[in-house]
Amino acid sequence: MNTILGLGFILFAGLLSAKLIKKIKLPAVTAYLLLGIFIGPSLLKLVPEGILGASGLISNIVLGIIAFGIGQNFSRYHLRRIGKTVVWISVLEACGAWILVTLIFYLILRQPFYLSLLFGAIASATAPAATVMVIREYRAKGNFTDTLLGVVAIDDAWCLIIFAISLAISQAIYAHNLEAFFLAKVFFSSLLSISGAFILGAFLAIVLSVFYRFVRTPTELLILTLGIVFLNIGIAIWLNLSVLLANMFLGAALVNLNRYSFKFFDSLKIIDSPLFLLFFVLAGASLEINILGKLSIIGLSYLIFRVVGKVIGASLGAKISNAATSVRKYLGFGLIPQAGVALGCALVAKSDFPQVGNMIFTTIVATTVIYELIGPLCTKYALRKAGDIIIH
Amino acid sequence: MQVKEIMSKEVIFVKRSTKLRELLEIFKDFHVFPLVPVLEENKRLVGIVSFRNLIDSLQSYHSDALKLVPFLDEEEQDIFKVDITDDLGDLVTVEDIMEHEYIAIQEDTSLNEVYNLMKLHLKEEFPVVDRAGRLTGRIGIFDILEAVFRQKGIIQ
Repeated sequence: MNTILGLGFILFAGLLSAKLIKKIKLPAVTAYLLLGIFIGPSLLKLVPEGILGASGLISNIVLGIIAFGIGQNFSRYHLRRIGKTVVWISVLEACGAWILVTLIFYLILRQPFYLSLLFGAIASATAPAATVMVIREYRAKGNFTDTLLGVVAIDDAWCLIIFAISLAISQAIYAHNLEAFFLAKVFFSSLLSISGAFILGAFLAIVLSVFYRFVRTPTELLILTLGIVFLNIGIAIWLNLSVLLANMFLGAALVNLNRYSFKFFDSLKIIDSPLFLLFFVLAGASLEINILGKLSIIGLSYLIFRVVGKVIGASLGAKISNAATSVRKYLGFGLIPQAGVALGCALVAKSDFPQVGNMIFTTIVATTVIYELIGPLCTKYALRKAGDIIIH
Repeated sequence: MQVKEIMSKEVIFVKRSTKLRELLEIFKDFHVFPLVPVLEENKRLVGIVSFRNLIDSLQSYHSDALKLVPFLDEEEQDIFKVDITDDLGDLVTVEDIMEHEYIAIQEDTSLNEVYNLMKLHLKEEFPVVDRAGRLTGRIGIFDILEAVFRQKGIIQ
């Protein structure tokens, strides 16, 4: 199969499988992942080499676009509105999963610290799409639903920051082992990676705002926005900065610099869906079924302790911010799904740590499929217990 | 030529507390549902309502937070089959459905620039505000065309 035929096949089969999975009320992301696993090199071998070879390119572009969108969370308007409950819960549930998974992997599973830290950081991500589907399906309404939506919308921003810090620390540990100036080096390289990404994102946001004055048609706006996002991704890769953070900062700076910034984000929505589809299918295709068996303990620990970390963190955040009892008890159960951001972080880890990359990535793909299947059930349970939906 | 020279100064507006039923009553005799500014007591513009927001009021859950959710599947809902009670008209207010992200034009903007903005954003009308953000009028594509035709001497 040639590359273009392969692309056509993936888009068509992706659309079809998403339509099918909607019948059992699951998000399209799950369909794309499962399709990828089936047609990937491990099973049916229907994905052409050309596309598999380009998966790095596609994932960097998609990660850049996702992170750019997440940056919108940092608009002054949005930050004013979200309130302390959402901030406390989202920060603590993300950190709860990060810390607990890292500790369990390091202390109990006896994995190297850099690897434990990477798994912990990826564990902080959440995928709001499945949660929102349940909220819509049961027409959930109320204080609990509002808080849950606020939390799932912003917590991927925290995840990107946690992941950037963890990645810098892991790289430093991996490269230097335990040298004398180790701590200073770790601190310096983290700082450089984060501040460099911030400066790059902010600078390109200014460039985008300036050039916006010369834009006359929606097509030109799309070309300009996509061009700047690509420049940002490319320069970040070239300078060894975090692609995820640089794009999140680009989005965050833009949303505060330009009154009409929503137009930039809206313009990308026209083209991002087929890219997202390809990204998830390719992520599924990269799952290595032959090493899945060896990962059962690691995968199971990740599955369980990520959820435990999130539930404890969310409950602690709700307690600190004096949220309602229902929020304290059940909000963590609405945060179970993981998808794009977790896979994206796993891909970055895979390319930066080739020796353990496949193990990280296969674990995250496999657990993503499981979380996407059980996540909606847990969200339904949480919403019902909180009294925001009535199921007859 | 500036916007304030040709804009319509009489604009129908609503408040955040206007009920959905009242909003529909105001517009039921009009040919189209226009872009409706939402004002606070001091006439400050805080949002707009368009026919898209009317569709939103029939959806199960609409929130600004949803715009920030990546990979969200579009909600396929048949508006002819929505199961809702008739008290929706009193329960839903403009505050619930209005858009916070909108484009407003300053009074001293040139017509050329407004026309470009209409092309860029695929819009046919904008609310006009003064420096303090208070609504002073509205400018539509026809106001601009009329000014051009007048300039060319086709109409007086």
